[in-house]
Amino acid sequence: MSEYEKYQQIKREARWTGLALFVLILFWLLAGFGLSGLPGEVLGMPLWAVTSSVGVWFFAILLVKLLTSLVFQDMELDEEKEAKQHE
Amino acid sequence: MSNGNPAALLPLLAFMGIMVGIGIYVRRVQARGFASNFVQQYFIGNHDLSGFVLAMTTVATYSSVSSFVGGPGMAWQIGFGWIYMAVVQVTAIFLVLGIFGKRVAMLSRKFDAVTVVDIIRERFQSDALASMAAFIIVLFFCATMTAQFVGGAKLFAAVTGYSYEMGLLLFGLVVVAYTSIGGFRAVALTDTCCAVMMMIGIVLLLYYVLQAGGGYGSIMASIHANHPEMLEPLSAGHMPAGLYLTQWILVGICTIALPQSVVRGISYKDTKSLHHAMLIGTVVVGFMNIGINFTGILAHGVLTDSLQSYGGVDNIIPKTIVTAMPQALVGFAIIGPLAASISTISGLLIVAASAIIKDVYLHHQHQKGVVPTAGRLRLLSMSVTAVIGVVVFCIALTPPSLIWIINMFAFGGLETAFFWTLLLGLFWRRANKLGAILSMGGGTIAYCLTQGMGLKVMGLHQITIGITVSLLFFLLGAYLGKPQEPQVLAKFFPDKPEKM
Repeated sequence: MSEYEKYQQIKREARWTGLALFVLILFWLLAGFGLSGLPGEVLGMPLWAVTSSVGVWFFAILLVKLLTSLVFQDMELDEEKEAKQHE
Repeated sequence: MSNGNPAALLPLLAFMGIMVGIGIYVRRVQARGFASNFVQQYFIGNHDLSGFVLAMTTVATYSSVSSFVGGPGMAWQIGFGWIYMAVVQVTAIFLVLGIFGKRVAMLSRKFDAVTVVDIIRERFQSDALASMAAFIIVLFFCATMTAQFVGGAKLFAAVTGYSYEMGLLLFGLVVVAYTSIGGFRAVALTDTCCAVMMMIGIVLLLYYVLQAGGGYGSIMASIHANHPEMLEPLSAGHMPAGLYLTQWILVGICTIALPQSVVRGISYKDTKSLHHAMLIGTVVVGFMNIGINFTGILAHGVLTDSLQSYGGVDNIIPKTIVTAMPQALVGFAIIGPLAASISTISGLLIVAASAIIKDVYLHHQHQKGVVPTAGRLRLLSMSVTAVIGVVVFCIALTPPSLIWIINMFAFGGLETAFFWTLLLGLFWRRANKLGAILSMGGGTIAYCLTQGMGLKVMGLHQITIGITVSLLFFLLGAYLGKPQEPQVLAKFFPDKPEKM
């Protein structure tokens, strides 16, 4: 990757990370306030208490997994080292 | 002193011994490498952290003693709404590493940067801005470190029965010692041990709280019967909706700009490590936040009286440990919270020392055309780290009220100062010197003033004011001031090559 391409890729990754944050906030709202009126219990806890804690946590892990496998790419961080490799 | 519990001391002493051992070990291993580029080795560990260590050190520095004592105490009072709020912290690790991780790593290699301030100086070409940043870091970090010392020592005294001063001596001097001996690499490795101990501590405490409370079923049944509001997100008004919003900003989104987190982007080995760290960090930070606050809620099975009878939320966890844990295991139970405390102190201490050595001292020497010898740098770096540590330690012995005020400003103040300067500076070409200076200075002052005077907009925490004012100032400066010089921009924002 050239320096220009790396920067474009880094920008892309930052943008997708921001988008993941946005999706997580929506999920968080839904899993907590959204479900708080519903009846039903899981292990003695109200449904919302489970989805808004462990649920949000698992969802965040899933999002990060998606980010790192679909959007993020490996690249050489050191330009000099890379230049040497190409020689 | 006489009513202390000696069984509580042994595990703690052993743990502290291991921490110092790591510091000395790192020092020995790196002794040869130290000669070539001491400052980089000492303050950033020479770009060789693995994904696991990167994740653990970022989480451990971020999770403070209050996440282990004050936080779960609040959960005891408020209920599941508190976990709902605390869980927003799962964003903290992947956001900072995902947005700044690679950007900072590449720029630091390009400019030989060791600190976040180095990068800010290169980007905005301003010594005034860099000095202001270094000053803000040292001031707020010292206040935060003091608070960590005090929190850890108070917990120690409450749980073991020994004196506050003895606790401070025991873990305070240890953290200062291993940080100054081993530098960043020792900080990263000890942080990793600390993070593991925090997780073990949570599991241990949870287990004994369940036992002492008569089992999960009966604790939950009692909460259903006696505290139904704990099962509501707003906890019958104890947990206002506005608090959720400001917590997202304060402990979620804006934490990406905390210099002690961003600097970790300079320290890792390769992009694979970074990707691993994002995943591991999210798993660990979620486990800790949910685990410890859940334990706080279940502590209702152990502490059944009113909050007043325990003397406030800060006493809930110490009381729970003493009541629920067998005497022989108390020493293990407090390693977790103390590990949270020392891992935050070490992370801040090394960054504060780097601000003084790299951003102030070395920069001035450089301007004068003087190159300090390696031996001199080694001596200076270690002594500055030790001196800051000892000064903070002494302040913690009898903390003046001013330090609490500065500490109250610290978290949000750092975020206000660095959020836009880093985010816009690294991703927006129009960001310029005037904007950054106005934003960092004006935003921080606005934040501290409004918080000091207790001014609020719509009842929201002052971070909302700070972050808004600092954005407006940044945009004002960006459009009024000159754009940054093209040769600077070319380094930060590479142009498309002519030939494809």
